[in-house]
Amino acid sequence: MPTASMLLPTRDSRALLIKWIVGLLVPVMVFTFVWSGEAIINNVLLGLINPGSTALQGPVLIEAAIFIVVFYATVIALTGYLVAADSGRRRTIDLWIDIVVFTLVPLFLVINFGLVVGAALCAIIWPAYFFVRRRVRQARHYTPPPPLKNLEVSDAEQRAILMSRATTAGFWFAFAFAVVWLIVDLIYFFVGQLPTVLLIWVVIRTILLPIAGYFLGRLGGAVALRRTLAAKSNGSKSDGNVATNGVGRRVSKKRQLESLSTTRAREEAKDLVPNDLPLRSTGAQRFYLILIVAFVLFYPVLDPFLFGSGTAGRLAGYGDAGYYVILALGLNIVVGFAGLLDLGYVAFFAIGSYAWGIIGSTQLTNVLGQAPVNPHILSALFWPMLIVGALIAAFWGVLLGAPTLRLRGDYLAIVTLGFGEIVPIVFLELDKYSNGPNGIVGVQSPSFPGVDWSVITPVPYYYLILALIAFTIFANVRLRDSRLGRAWIAIREDEIAAASSGVNLVNTKLFAFGAGAFFSGIAGAYHAAKLGGVSPDNFSFGDSVIFLAMVVIGGIGSIPGVIVGALAVYAINQLLLAQLDSLATDPSNPLYAVHNAIVHFIPGFTFDNIRNLIFGIILVVIMIFRPEGLIPSARRRREFHAIEEDHEIEVGALDVVPGAPGFETEVRVE
Amino acid sequence: MSVEQPIEHTGEPLLKLNNVSKFFGGLAAVQNLDLEVKPREIISVIGPNGAGKTTVFNLITGIYSPTSGNIVLAGRSLAGLSPDKVLRRGIARTFQNIRLFNNMTVLENVLVGEHTQLKANVLGSLFHTPNVMHEEAEARQRAVELLSFFGTELVERQEEYVINLSYAQRRRVEVARALGSIPKLLLLDEPTAGMNEAETLEAVKYVRRLRDELGLTILLIEHKLAVTMGMSDRIYVLDYGRKIAEGLPEEVRRDEKVIAAYLGKPTAADQKAAE
Repeated sequence: MPTASMLLPTRDSRALLIKWIVGLLVPVMVFTFVWSGEAIINNVLLGLINPGSTALQGPVLIEAAIFIVVFYATVIALTGYLVAADSGRRRTIDLWIDIVVFTLVPLFLVINFGLVVGAALCAIIWPAYFFVRRRVRQARHYTPPPPLKNLEVSDAEQRAILMSRATTAGFWFAFAFAVVWLIVDLIYFFVGQLPTVLLIWVVIRTILLPIAGYFLGRLGGAVALRRTLAAKSNGSKSDGNVATNGVGRRVSKKRQLESLSTTRAREEAKDLVPNDLPLRSTGAQRFYLILIVAFVLFYPVLDPFLFGSGTAGRLAGYGDAGYYVILALGLNIVVGFAGLLDLGYVAFFAIGSYAWGIIGSTQLTNVLGQAPVNPHILSALFWPMLIVGALIAAFWGVLLGAPTLRLRGDYLAIVTLGFGEIVPIVFLELDKYSNGPNGIVGVQSPSFPGVDWSVITPVPYYYLILALIAFTIFANVRLRDSRLGRAWIAIREDEIAAASSGVNLVNTKLFAFGAGAFFSGIAGAYHAAKLGGVSPDNFSFGDSVIFLAMVVIGGIGSIPGVIVGALAVYAINQLLLAQLDSLATDPSNPLYAVHNAIVHFIPGFTFDNIRNLIFGIILVVIMIFRPEGLIPSARRRREFHAIEEDHEIEVGALDVVPGAPGFETEVRVE
Repeated sequence: MSVEQPIEHTGEPLLKLNNVSKFFGGLAAVQNLDLEVKPREIISVIGPNGAGKTTVFNLITGIYSPTSGNIVLAGRSLAGLSPDKVLRRGIARTFQNIRLFNNMTVLENVLVGEHTQLKANVLGSLFHTPNVMHEEAEARQRAVELLSFFGTELVERQEEYVINLSYAQRRRVEVARALGSIPKLLLLDEPTAGMNEAETLEAVKYVRRLRDELGLTILLIEHKLAVTMGMSDRIYVLDYGRKIAEGLPEEVRRDEKVIAAYLGKPTAADQKAAE
């Protein structure tokens, strides 16, 4: 167990601890006390102590409990990690401002405007913040403070220091949190709002939290230590082997190359610990991922606590936002990876929608003059049709891609635009199968044993789209990092060089079209099932442009960026702008005055009239402030900031002058 | 290290251009060119600017197809093949104005070069089958070994984007990428363009090592006469798309037509103007 002296922060680390503990504690406390964190916890506890006393029961209760544990444990471990990973090259005040902008601002927006609109507003505010921050730093000739002492070496002693830092951070974070919580609960208790039963919990918690903090801090420290630079002694040792051991030369050469590969590459790596930007390091991203996954997975349980009544409607809305994510990720393969500008992507969405629409309703059996298939069997057909529909879309993707192969850039865009127009018209005119302008109604929802897919509970659709998005992300990541993904990016970079490196341009491009269309088909089948019908109005040129805007705003080629971009554009376009008129009818809303003022000059004005104008302005503003997108991929970031970064690179220092003795080494290819 | 050995170039030519012509509209870029490269030879194509040297490379690698004539590699015609098919036959190349994938890392560039050597299909890549994982690990290992041909620095900088590298280093990465396909014949388009003297010497050294250590056959375009003379087994001289001379370096050096092409020959118009 920890002794008191071990946990007392040393003079060096005191400032560091205060910096991070205060920085992270504030948002956590806002979540817990201002928002609904405590309400969830108390309901979970009451449910555990006295089943049936709260709305939470059975599996829902367990889910909420898991979320609470995962959430707080991750935050404490993250504190430990960040303290160990910080190189100190960020002033405390800068960091706090960053944390406020990245946690408190979204919390505030989400509490006030709901999840999706709040997130969309963040997407507008954050680029502006980045822009202002860069300008302020330039104006004030910002120089970061020097790094903390003793950080270059990573011998055993150094690692021990980092570990003890992380441990202390975890402990004190949890301790401070426990104390604040205790005070808050005591106040509630004396006011009479806290059930007496929960006092036991208060006591247990106050004792348990610091202990848990100690171990979670260690965990965070362990994660950080995995990313420290290995001590130099290993490398020189293997070099010695090469010189002395002539027999094992071949093996040694391989090892020598490996050692060469790792040392410099790791020195160059941005996410090494200690790190100038610990909040952005790969280690921290793991923690964020855990938080996001926990939140998304248990969201249906948490929603009533976080946003009150109306859960079903919101979940249904997220189901819609979800297929935009899949569409954007699919388009990202075509536009982002392979660099083929596709303005007719909606065509494949239409094909996927009609594929399930025609099969999953009485449409096909009517046309064929057969008796309708039993709806239960039809529902079960959704699962194979999800794949078949996607494959049909992919087939058409390849077929429509073929004529465009000789074209590039603008010309390619025009031809794809044509396909985007032709396909919906074909469906419109193909009355016999598609029911023409009336669309298809009565499309079956999927069926799955033990799940109720009726309209009242959108939860199954929420998890279905979650699974589909997870699959799409998985496929995107794997394809990007494969032989095929490299070929796509090579084509985007330089077609002639790619062809001369053996990349078959025809097959590779067609495959990009096919893969993009495949995911579009999945989204289409889901869309038809969720809507319960297919309407030809849903597949206009405007939709293709919206999909493209999602990819570009999120960050071309960046998977997390495209997801965020899809959600942001969906929220801005479908929720925020669509609600402007109804918001303006509320006299307490500032928009009310704005609306009245405009109506004074322009009678009959509604926000809906200028909806596209506002949307366009927002897009332009985002593109000016952040042309590389909200979360750019490493490659794109490099493209846009190449000039700035070039100054920092001293090529001469790294170059071995040709002709110098060390230039041609013994290492050879055999 | 490389040991100078007299190499005998006997037997069938590896690459043979028969009476190849290429016209762009009315402009004859290459006319009636005959060219032979035997295994393990280093052959240079030289000539003044606009002589059609790079067009010859583009014809061989399938970027252009010849208007007339035939290109044969190891007895099989390359006519009508796309660049990637030509590469599969065993001809890799570099470009005069380096065409690397700038927003990919050094290692990724070489991995793209190994594209034809890898077999991973979509499903394998999706589900990371053992075969694919093994192949990928081997490809990376081989890419690092190829980089190590040029010393240790590229190995150390393998994770960097090539745009950060110096000009000479980028040339080396481009050669490593070409080697990734395990070619029989390597076409180098001005491997010393834009380099200083020390870098040029180094480039000459590695061109020789490519032949001596890897057993490659090399056809290269060069602008600097001195460089070509030093390393070539034979030299072809092009001017206005026509072959004006061929032979051993000493023969070419003394050829009057070559001197005229390089130094400029007074034309009738010039003489008139002088008077």
